[in-house]
Amino acid sequence: MLIFENLKLALSSIRVNKMRSFLTMLGMIIGISSVIAIVSIGDTMRNAIAKEYENIGSGIACVYIVSESGYYGDNETFTLDELEKMEETFKNYIDYHITPTSSDRVDIVNGRNTTKVSISGIREGYEDVAKTVKLVKGRMINENDVLGKKMNIVLEESVAKELFGNNEPLGRKINVITQGLDGEERKEMNVVGIYRSEQSAIMKLLGGNSIKEVYVPQTALTGPDDRFFDIYLYRKNSVDNEFFRERVLNYISRIKNTSVDNIIYYSAEEESSSIDSMMNALSIGVGAIASISLIVGGIGIMNIMLVSVTERTREIGIRKALGARRFDILMQFLIESAIISALGGIIGTLLGCGVVMVGGSLVGIEVVIKPYVVVGAVLFSAVVGIFFGMYPSSKASKKDPIESLRYE
Amino acid sequence: MTGGEIMSDKNGIIVLEDIKKTYDTGSVSVNALKGINLTIEKGEYVAIMGQSGSGKSTMMNILGCLDTPTSGKYYLDGVDITKEKKSKLSYIRNRKIGFVFQSFNLIPRTSAIKNVELPMIYAKVGRKARRKKAEELLKKVGLEGRMNHMPNEVSGGQRQRIAIARALANNPPIILADEPTGNLDTASSIEIMELFTELNNDGATVIVVTHEDDIAQFTKRIVRFKDGEIVSDEKVVRD
Repeated sequence: MLIFENLKLALSSIRVNKMRSFLTMLGMIIGISSVIAIVSIGDTMRNAIAKEYENIGSGIACVYIVSESGYYGDNETFTLDELEKMEETFKNYIDYHITPTSSDRVDIVNGRNTTKVSISGIREGYEDVAKTVKLVKGRMINENDVLGKKMNIVLEESVAKELFGNNEPLGRKINVITQGLDGEERKEMNVVGIYRSEQSAIMKLLGGNSIKEVYVPQTALTGPDDRFFDIYLYRKNSVDNEFFRERVLNYISRIKNTSVDNIIYYSAEEESSSIDSMMNALSIGVGAIASISLIVGGIGIMNIMLVSVTERTREIGIRKALGARRFDILMQFLIESAIISALGGIIGTLLGCGVVMVGGSLVGIEVVIKPYVVVGAVLFSAVVGIFFGMYPSSKASKKDPIESLRYE
Repeated sequence: MTGGEIMSDKNGIIVLEDIKKTYDTGSVSVNALKGINLTIEKGEYVAIMGQSGSGKSTMMNILGCLDTPTSGKYYLDGVDITKEKKSKLSYIRNRKIGFVFQSFNLIPRTSAIKNVELPMIYAKVGRKARRKKAEELLKKVGLEGRMNHMPNEVSGGQRQRIAIARALANNPPIILADEPTGNLDTASSIEIMELFTELNNDGATVIVVTHEDDIAQFTKRIVRFKDGEIVSDEKVVRD
């Protein structure tokens, strides 16, 4: 029953000292709202990134061979023939052709305009596996291009704009300049298509792909001596990544006569999970730093409670004279500080969630606020209040009634 | 009353036997009370008088169970309180003693009725019963129109009436008033003392600590203190 009386007492004491109570709560409000905001922003980003990888296709894996000697020869690079054989072997496990990629940035030139791009050799049907590629003009690379080794190129919209301005790019010729072993190599190519890279809000937020990709038939993309350093494989979703990795590594090890340890395989799935765990660690870390502000808030509460105990010395004396036990006084002040702190926690939670929701809707990301974060924050703030209220309350309860009654 | 308490063979509501109180202030120890023997019967109306430093404040604190004597025995309602723990003293203050102070000692920013309810909260009286009793008491002291006023919204005399209503909350056998008229004008002082007389007529044991003779004249017995000792103890003879 006294708990209920103390609750009412605490609320009326908070009401009487509105401004002071609010300022005391402010520490908790800021602390809790920033912890909630940080953790929720982290969760939101992780969710968005996971979705992003689902979009790109978590089945993509990149493979290349590391040379022990530093010299890259037949055993460290791939030819198109090898890729075709490999495709035949793995046809049950993959969704799309095995494609080579030029790991170097290349320059493409139209007259006086030059821009740097990343160039990828693809096969027909690429737009079906790459969900972010949306053709806006012309066509994508088709089977004829690949079989006929046609010098055709599909540009990204902004690349086309840079090279051609407002002029029509389709049907025009550009030069692709690669840095080969024998120095600069220049190839003339026809622009057959323009695509738009559809980026999600999260990718835009993260800065997007600063280097744009252009596509050519994989048969037209040649490295030095028509060899390629790294290749892309598109694993079917139904095929287990570990199983697939082992098969690929063993196969390459056999055909290239090299140790499995020299073959580097990394998949979007692994990348996604490593980014996820990195983001998780980051949000826990930053959240932990933000929790320090909760301790600061707690000290603020302790400070005000100490002032309040001193101010109310006479009241404590009166209460003791009228029959309050030490325990009664202890509870009175403890409940008051727990309520101030928990109220701060609740306001902070609303504020934190509000900030995340407004921010999320502005950027256009689906917001993730986990219930345990909210419940945890409010409970934690009450615990902070009790912990930091302990000392002032105990001080209040130990006051001598005679001296307290004399206190002016 | 629980068992195992030391019962006195004396039948006074307050029985003091050789009460001594010594304060240790560093090197010097002060004997505030030097062996007081005093019996107050149930229903008495007593004034405790003395100059400042006479020991009457110390006496008041000990009588009110706010302080314990250095030696001696104090039987309150038959129980030796010098042997009791602090939590038991809180209980005794709550149930056996109604305090009235010189400076009223009402809880600020808390309505009259809430102030009167306070001792009943600590006595764990239910909300409705508490409210009803507090209303009755405020009516009894003539403040039925001031129940929801804050202490700073009423006059000094009215504040002291609230304090008296509060002192009566748990029907204590003893009313202990420390200079109850010290902060009041003459008219209010007379009203307050008449209220005490009325309470005494209703059967309450009333002890008033004062240094004013005309206030003491309202009571039926005057005990004078000087230098920590009782120097006189006489019945008041009314003209």
